Amino acid sequence: MKIVVAYKWAADPQEATVAADGQVDFSRAKSAVSDYDAVAITVARHLGDTHGADVVGLTVGGPEVATGLATKAALSRGLDALMVVADPALTAAGSTGTAQALATALAGVDDIAVLITGDSSVDVGAKLVPAVVGGLLGWPVLTEVTAVAIEPGALVVERAVSGGTEQLRIDGPAVLAVATDAATVKAPGMKDVLAAAKKPVQQLPADPVVADGTLRSTARLSGPARRGIQISTDDPAAAAAELVSALRADGVLIGGQQ
Amino acid sequence: MNLIIVAGTASVANLVTTAAQLDGETLAVVVGSRAVAERIATSGVDKVIWFGEPGDRPLEAFAPAVAQAATAARPQVVLGGRRPAERVLLGAAAAALRAPALIDVKEVTSQAGTVMVTHGVNGGIAVTTREFSGPVALMVDGGGVAPVQGAAPIEETPAATLPMQVTAVQVTAVTEVDLAAAPRVVGAGRGLRAREDLSIIEALAAALEAELACTRPLAEGLDWLPRDRYLGVSGQHIAPRLYVAVGVSGQLQHLAGVRSAETIVAINSDPKAPVLAEADYALVGDLYELVPAITAALEQP
Ligand SMILES: Cc1cc2nc3c(=O)[nH]c(=O)nc-3n(C[C@H](O)[C@H](O)[C@H](O)COP(=O)(O)OP(=O)(O)OC[C@H]3O[C@@H](n4cnc5c(N)ncnc54)[C@H](O)[C@@H]3O)c2cc1C
Ligand SMILES: Nc1ncnc2c1ncn2[C@@H]1O[C@H](COP(=O)(O)O)[C@@H](O)[C@H]1O
Repeated sequence: MKIVVAYKWAADPQEATVAADGQVDFSRAKSAVSDYDAVAITVARHLGDTHGADVVGLTVGGPEVATGLATKAALSRGLDALMVVADPALTAAGSTGTAQALATALAGVDDIAVLITGDSSVDVGAKLVPAVVGGLLGWPVLTEVTAVAIEPGALVVERAVSGGTEQLRIDGPAVLAVATDAATVKAPGMKDVLAAAKKPVQQLPADPVVADGTLRSTARLSGPARRGIQISTDDPAAAAAELVSALRADGVLIGGQQ
Repeated sequence: MNLIIVAGTASVANLVTTAAQLDGETLAVVVGSRAVAERIATSGVDKVIWFGEPGDRPLEAFAPAVAQAATAARPQVVLGGRRPAERVLLGAAAAALRAPALIDVKEVTSQAGTVMVTHGVNGGIAVTTREFSGPVALMVDGGGVAPVQGAAPIEETPAATLPMQVTAVQVTAVTEVDLAAAPRVVGAGRGLRAREDLSIIEALAAALEAELACTRPLAEGLDWLPRDRYLGVSGQHIAPRLYVAVGVSGQLQHLAGVRSAETIVAINSDPKAPVLAEADYALVGDLYELVPAITAALEQP
């Protein structure tokens, strides 16, 4: 029995720069295992330990996802082995293209009990890849999953829903996107880092995937221009009075226009 | 033909109006109760496909039914909302059609087989316009319930569903809030030292007649507030007249949900916090001093 966990090697857009023409430049941003995918790996590891199953990481992306830096960073978080699909064509793959590459890789693996994913990737944040992977494989998909147990032939899942939680029973393998607080992530220790260097990494070829349309233009984000007014806070009461009268003048307080 | 996906709620007015602007008729596939299907039939769509009562099946179990309907309809544009089940079903349609899927859609037009989509990228730090010749799946904020208009036929189709079943439900008895409709919102962040301290933020919100919201860590991880109260790329998106960010650093994942606010006030003790650069009024200081002072100032006649 295998537990597969999909993780993305990506950089935080907070560190990207946006040029005047709207081109996003990630070249100075450092990639890492996407924040919430570390939660997914932790959940998968616990599940693997409980059931004596292998925990296999799976990532797809540009050539950088197959570098030693990237694979060791993922393996040191407790995976037993890795599958990597690295191809320049996948660098800019969208949610569907990424999901196609993941589904193709999964189709070649026997005896998968569950595919665990993160809640959302740090750079795209669509919460869509798990849904499309499930659609391609014909597997059930649940998100916001807070707990998972494996029973013979079934998965027992708990998930957060608006206003509470739900327990569900799923027959057969499924794609489960775990909630961001489904597990507490520990930083890998020295032993984990050393062990990572010896774990197997399997590279798989990339198939062609759907393109994300034809790019016509890019632009910087345009929103309401901000006024950037600094209110001195040396005297909190005076600062408060100044803010309140400014907001009142703007008409955004109770009884303001509209 | 364009397709809108409805999952469990008729609050999809934005999907209906977006579809209405496109070339071709609008088909709504409805997963959920008959009441939802009936409400959608009077929202201005041309046809409704309904898969029957879900019973103890989660809405996500209907993914193959939605995929089948999408394959049969061969839509140019598929629209779905941002709620969890809506995303799963939109993903299932995208998979069936091998269609690209985009989020944060700001504008979509279609003409003679070509669809142009303008959408935010990377948490909304930039926007991109793309052209599609084949089908495309788009995630659009659902909005409220559409006004009553017309009466489309409802076709009840027996659905192939996935083997999944809800076995128990625990309700923590929180009422769902509509942050999107609030004219004023106060957002609390990790600048708060303890859960009890939320009371000073609540007092400010009361004085402003504002809804209380928060950053993701307060809702997930700390569990100080319910999950439907956090704002951001993966949380709620709001466009109030006033947003007051208190003890919020202003990472772009949070700002993505509040950028459309008319006026932003930020209160943060760190002069380098990114939120201050995105504010109309920036107050650098201790929230524990400033927030009670502002509340008091608001309560003065
Ligand atoms: C894929 C992904 C998706 C995400 N989606 C979201 C999302 O939708 N919404 C969201 O909110 N976050 C989201 N996040 C998390 C986001 O990146 C930030 O980590 C989060 O918004 C930070 O929350 P915060 O501002 O409350 O906490 P912090 O970043 O810890 O900031 C706390 C702030 O309080 C200030 N402070 C401390 N003490 C005081 C005081 N006494 N007085 C005044 N100020 C004080 C500090 O200077 C600091 O700026 C996401 C992250 C990822 C990776
Ligand atoms: N390139 C990728 N390789 C592997 N897994 C991915 C990739 N992109 C997204 N995922 C998985 O899908 C989840 C949701 O991503 P997204 O839809 O981009 O928000 C992530 O948390 C990962 O678990």
